[in-house]
Amino acid sequence: MSGLRTDDSVKVVLEGRITAYTAAPIWKDALDTLARNPDRPIVVDASRLEYADDVGIALLFDLLRRDRPPQAKVEMRDLASNLAALVEAFDPKDFAQPPPGRPQIGILEHIGRVAAQEVAYVKTIAGFLGQCAGALWYAIRHRGLVRWGEVVSVATEAGANAVPIVLLIGFLMGVIIAFEIGLVAQQFGAVIFVVNGVGVAMLRELGALMTAIVFAGRTGAAFAAQIGTQKVNEEVNAIQTFGLDPVHFLVLPRLIAAALVVPLLTVLADVIGIFGGALVMATFNVSFVQFYNQLLGAVDTGDFVLGIVKAAVFGLAIAGIGCQRGLATGEGATAVGLSATSAVVKSIVWIVVLDGIFTVLTS
Amino acid sequence: MLQTPNPLGSVRPASSERPPAISVRGLKMGYGTRVLLENASFDVKRGEIMVILGGSGSGKSSLMKNIIGLYRPMDGDILIDGTSIVRARGQDKASLQRKLGVMYQSGALFGSLTVLENVRFPLDQFTDLGLGEKNLTARMLLRQVEMGYAEGFMPGALSGGMLKRAGIARAMALGSDILTLDEPSAGLDPITAANLDRTILSLREDLGFTFVVVTHELQSIFAIADRAIMLDPVSRSIIAEGKPSELCDHSDDPRVRQFFNRQSDAAMHKAKP
Repeated sequence: MSGLRTDDSVKVVLEGRITAYTAAPIWKDALDTLARNPDRPIVVDASRLEYADDVGIALLFDLLRRDRPPQAKVEMRDLASNLAALVEAFDPKDFAQPPPGRPQIGILEHIGRVAAQEVAYVKTIAGFLGQCAGALWYAIRHRGLVRWGEVVSVATEAGANAVPIVLLIGFLMGVIIAFEIGLVAQQFGAVIFVVNGVGVAMLRELGALMTAIVFAGRTGAAFAAQIGTQKVNEEVNAIQTFGLDPVHFLVLPRLIAAALVVPLLTVLADVIGIFGGALVMATFNVSFVQFYNQLLGAVDTGDFVLGIVKAAVFGLAIAGIGCQRGLATGEGATAVGLSATSAVVKSIVWIVVLDGIFTVLTS
Repeated sequence: MLQTPNPLGSVRPASSERPPAISVRGLKMGYGTRVLLENASFDVKRGEIMVILGGSGSGKSSLMKNIIGLYRPMDGDILIDGTSIVRARGQDKASLQRKLGVMYQSGALFGSLTVLENVRFPLDQFTDLGLGEKNLTARMLLRQVEMGYAEGFMPGALSGGMLKRAGIARAMALGSDILTLDEPSAGLDPITAANLDRTILSLREDLGFTFVVVTHELQSIFAIADRAIMLDPVSRSIIAEGKPSELCDHSDDPRVRQFFNRQSDAAMHKAKP
């Protein structure tokens, strides 16, 4: 492109090919020429313009639509007739308004919307909890009608396949707890009482808690993604049109599987965690025999049962939340991912809340 | 040298001197050890609307994905404007792929971007244009496909027909004048499908675009196709090539006549002497 000043007008020459890949400097130069000459007429010589794609057409249109004083209009000369027809197909009035931006929401409106969403969520959850309670009660009274094959399948995937990671996490928890308390207890000559700490912590709290967190990340997300995908694919609609209840069909097997599997995994975590603690105590010159005897005196059946009951409740909560998030999946490519993420976050929050409730009730 | 004006404004040699928009030579394609099509050869001329048709599972979409370079053929070659996309590598292949505009079956718009941002996306990625220039170009493209009112919409709020129109606008953003459309009428009501056919025809007539359309919607085939090729999964070959009206009435192959006349297998067996 070149610009030449004559007596009263400025000539802009467009030549060659104007395409998406070549238009940028040409467009900028042309607009700069217009800006530098606000009161002079502009003559655009398009006689040597060989080719223009969609961006080229947009450039020509942009030059012609500019709002300039009557004596300083832009005139296009010798533009090929077919190009001119393409440019004239657009009305400058259609582009007078700027393109719509993304909707901006103020902070107060955002807070209000979030609050309203949470209230709606609590209502949805209350209804869902009622449906789950009804489904569980139904399963207790009609055990033969439960899809036990699905329960076993879910339990295998959620339970058996989670054993390695639960063993690893449980072992590390036992080691860390024993080591951290041991370092402090050693200063007071009370190393032997670390066994009490490891035993009580693992059986009452950490065994169930860490197992539940692993279960939430691994299986809670999977439940949400599986059911969410079924929702997006309209499989849930298909279940309903057969007269089946999605809660009985999809959610109940997962609730039962989780209630069975999480306590079993917790037992594994407890055992391996206590073993890990014993290994660390050996470095503090507490033998396995001493560890065992001290442990038997420190914990009782009630601690173990409490941990298992917590684990079952955590399992039900994680499965329920995962399934509810799945059933509430929206539409679009990101919906399933959002459901899975939401399931994990909400599960972890509720695990901690329920743990707190248990602590208050059993203190 | 005979010169005919191109609707896009270039003064170019007559089409007989330019290579075909797409040339397929001895193509063999499939998945793993499963062969879907072999020894397939055909050309798509500049400014032509070529329809690839066939029954379910005949390899129509796979053929399109081989043409646009998403899949690698087992054998043979595919030329885009005279250059092999099969032998191209790296940036050369990417440049060749950008010569083609692709509209996927459900539009394949990016869900986190508005319609305008979706159409602007190729310009954002591959040009140095300013934001104002890119927005103007994208807005004009949307108006060409009668989607100007939906600039600020998110893809989740669009109907099937709107998604496909927006997909066509995005496919044109880099000046591609060879567009491949995968099942453009699938899932659309008759009016929306007819409107989309009209858009395709006007883009060809006003801008000289070349189209390769994968479809088995008979009404669209008859409305827009200059030529059609029919794939057969049993023989794994192209069993017909020509104008749809001629294939419908005069093809020697009963499978072709059955397809175009929408006859069931039972009706075909009854009709046999």
